[in-house]
Amino acid sequence: MMELLVSLENSGFGVWLRESPSIWAYPAILTLHTLGLAVLVGGNAVVDLRLLGYGRGIALSSLDTLFPVMWAGFWVNAISGVALFVGDATTKGTTQVFVWKLVIIAAGVLVLVAIRRTVYGRGVDAPVESPISRVLAATSLALWFLAIVTGRYMAYV
Amino acid sequence: MGSALEAFAYWLRETQISQAIRVLPWLWPVCEILHFFGLSLLVGVAGFFDLRLLGFMPGVRLSAAWSLMPWAKVGFGLAAITGLTFFVGAPDQYVNNLAFLFKVIFLLVAGANALYFEVAYGKRVAEGAADDRSPGAFKAIAAVSLASWLLVVYWGRMLPFIGNAF
Repeated sequence: MMELLVSLENSGFGVWLRESPSIWAYPAILTLHTLGLAVLVGGNAVVDLRLLGYGRGIALSSLDTLFPVMWAGFWVNAISGVALFVGDATTKGTTQVFVWKLVIIAAGVLVLVAIRRTVYGRGVDAPVESPISRVLAATSLALWFLAIVTGRYMAYV
Repeated sequence: MGSALEAFAYWLRETQISQAIRVLPWLWPVCEILHFFGLSLLVGVAGFFDLRLLGFMPGVRLSAAWSLMPWAKVGFGLAAITGLTFFVGAPDQYVNNLAFLFKVIFLLVAGANALYFEVAYGKRVAEGAADDRSPGAFKAIAAVSLASWLLVVYWGRMLPFIGNAF
């Protein structure tokens, strides 16, 4: 495992990401990771707040549009996240909080899928609100907050 | 930047509140967490409203989308308070920082733009008078809003790289 992490970190890409003075290396990738985070967590916040009863007049059938936007944010962060991991593999790969971060994000994505199925299971034009969708919304907000907590923690290890 | 600003930063750094911010080791990371959560809330909710102004999600009444905007203000408040904490705690990192200058410029653009919309149209939008149409002015304001908030995030992220902050 450690050998794999070392070889990742010392790969051409890993070295470039970590050591290139170019603004297009580490700074650009980290910026993408921040913008993706804002889109993914921000989009989730809108859907979660609506399901928790805020902005009740917002037609749920139209919020379906936000899901591809959130997925775009997710994939930007998955790809930029892999790049950031390669550049710092021996540290990130051996820090327990990083494993927690991945578990929390996986749970957040599962909850996002569950929200979509629960609310739009009968079709986009027949959205269903239920106690379950409210519990999922509250769980989603908590998980994405924890994703930021563990993500920010990684800046200090 | 000017030496008056540097003198201000030097004075601010010696104040008790600035020293207190630096003494508490957990305060800076906790503020970073809230800063990021706040910016996500702001970009998410304001971005949603901007997309609606631009003509996306036409099924959402504009007055209904507007009713969520207090949450964008909560996000802004979180980011502003924690951002002020960073500035007070380490003003020397920011006064000579080109990225910080650009961040403040786009903050002013985004803030003035949002304030103009609220003052000029807020009441009518809240009452539902603009539910059925989205005039060109709304689309222009939405485009400025999206661009300027994303540039605030971009220049914020550049603080340690183009500038000298951490």
